[in-house]
Amino acid sequence: MKKIKTLIVDDEKLAREVVSRYLSEYDEFEIAGECSNGFEAIKLINEIKPDLIFLDVQMPKITGFEMLELIDEPPAIIFTTAFDQYAIKAFEVNAIDYLLKPFSEERFKDALDKAKLSIGNKSDLRDKLNKLKETDREKGERLERVVVKHNNNILIISVDEINYIEAQDDYVMLHTARGNFLKQKTMKWFEKNLDPENFIRLHRSYITRLDAVKQLELFEKESYRAILKDGAKIPVSKSGYQKLKEIMNG
Amino acid sequence: MMINPFIKNKKLLLIYSLLWIFIAAAQSLILIFIVDAPFDYSIADGIVFNGLYSFLGLSFWYMVNFNSLDNYPAYKIILNHIASAAIITTFWLAASYFILSNIIDDPEYLTMLDESLIWRAIAGIMFYIIIIAVDYVIIYYNNFHDKVLKEAELRTLVKETELKSLKYQINPHFIFNSLNSVASLTLSDPEKAREMTIKLSSFLRGTLSRNENRTNSLKEELENSRLYLDIEKVRFGDKFDYVEECDEDCRGGEVPAMLLQPLFENAIKHGVYERVEKVTIKLKCKRENGFLKISLENNYDPEAVPRKGEGIGLKNIKNRLKLFYDNENLISTDKSDGIFRVNIYIPEKK
Repeated sequence: MKKIKTLIVDDEKLAREVVSRYLSEYDEFEIAGECSNGFEAIKLINEIKPDLIFLDVQMPKITGFEMLELIDEPPAIIFTTAFDQYAIKAFEVNAIDYLLKPFSEERFKDALDKAKLSIGNKSDLRDKLNKLKETDREKGERLERVVVKHNNNILIISVDEINYIEAQDDYVMLHTARGNFLKQKTMKWFEKNLDPENFIRLHRSYITRLDAVKQLELFEKESYRAILKDGAKIPVSKSGYQKLKEIMNG
Repeated sequence: MMINPFIKNKKLLLIYSLLWIFIAAAQSLILIFIVDAPFDYSIADGIVFNGLYSFLGLSFWYMVNFNSLDNYPAYKIILNHIASAAIITTFWLAASYFILSNIIDDPEYLTMLDESLIWRAIAGIMFYIIIIAVDYVIIYYNNFHDKVLKEAELRTLVKETELKSLKYQINPHFIFNSLNSVASLTLSDPEKAREMTIKLSSFLRGTLSRNENRTNSLKEELENSRLYLDIEKVRFGDKFDYVEECDEDCRGGEVPAMLLQPLFENAIKHGVYERVEKVTIKLKCKRENGFLKISLENNYDPEAVPRKGEGIGLKNIKNRLKLFYDNENLISTDKSDGIFRVNIYIPEKK
């Protein structure tokens, strides 16, 4: 019987200790590693490909959620959190289980049982992971930064850096002064979670930061293009043009 | 200084004009029926004297504003008004007399005018007193009104600040994470678990019993914050050092209760929390030109992209300082070479 490779990710040593102690009671699980931040965790996940991750939501540098966005192969994930109403809502739908700190051994065992059932069902795990990635911000809370992978490095991009977002099949391309980055998210998600005061969807395949727009020009008859400050030219749909006109006149 | 309300406010101007028309009419009627002066002379007399005064009266507003109790002691104001009443009344009588004697050359009327000057002077001084009294009442009323508004504003500010500090009082994240650390320590180091439970209890007690309007000695405040830092140290292991550089004569200084707590929380949250490397949190206090200057600094990661929630704590502190000391400029921050510093200035009691 192959053991279930488990990774513990939490920035607090004592919190990691609880998990590893509880886990040592179960023979079918082995601890493959411990990490104190998301950067380390991503490296390790790609290296050892764990079957199960205990993941703390609130961590330095990048949060547990942001970390998930950068994982391709979906392990089973059990979240641990002290207090995070918004995260809890997301877990209830799409996580295998979540543990509220401090948690009892009985509760921990339940989570393990659920994890055991899920491990091996890759398509279900992938489905769940994708849904978690698409979790919306809480009402009134706007997206402020995006984490991206770039040549094996992880970059944190502030949304103020994004000039425009372009749809590319299952991905979107974020165009910034630092370069262009692919991100596995949908246009719809970005449209919903970016601050509508600063970003506008000018076209089915384009979202633009308003401050980045230099001018509109007539492209062919009846159709416009937006010229950005960095020189990029972006098609503007009819409805995009209407939206832009409203903002200009509002 | 406010704009003259008799000019700005149409209603007041109308009442003022009607009163003068009434006084002018009364004066004319007295001259006609009691003094037996000719009809047209009496009307002219009433219009010239009172018309002139009504214009002069409008200018009193500026004098009254200039002669406020904020600028001068009371005796000086009274002297100023006596002088200006004399000057204005003399000017008014001379000007009216000059106009009337130029348009009316009836010796009988002019004699009457000469003889009645003393009465007219008394009337002029009376008018002066009445008008400045009304002006003072208006100023007083306006100031009172402003004060009421300001107080209402302050009350809202107090409420807001209280609400926000309530949020600070019970930071669920901190509590549950600390409890989790305690739970963990019960497995590995029961001795330490007990120590932490006691520290957590003392800290929570200190926080819950706080009162918005109370001050504490800096010494007490720092003790409570040290409890907090000890707890966080258990949570974060050796991720930060705390250094205190506090002049001995500062420790007795009074500061608003729990004012520093959010600063420490900020330093932990934005310094320690966002960094993988070790952080030094340094508190300095010294006396500086009548202020107790408290600075808290921590090194931070300049690369870190800030998350939400920055600035709320600082704004809250600013509001509290404003409530306590009625001064908006008692807090400043600066960032340089990866060090974030907050300075707080507490006015020393005279």
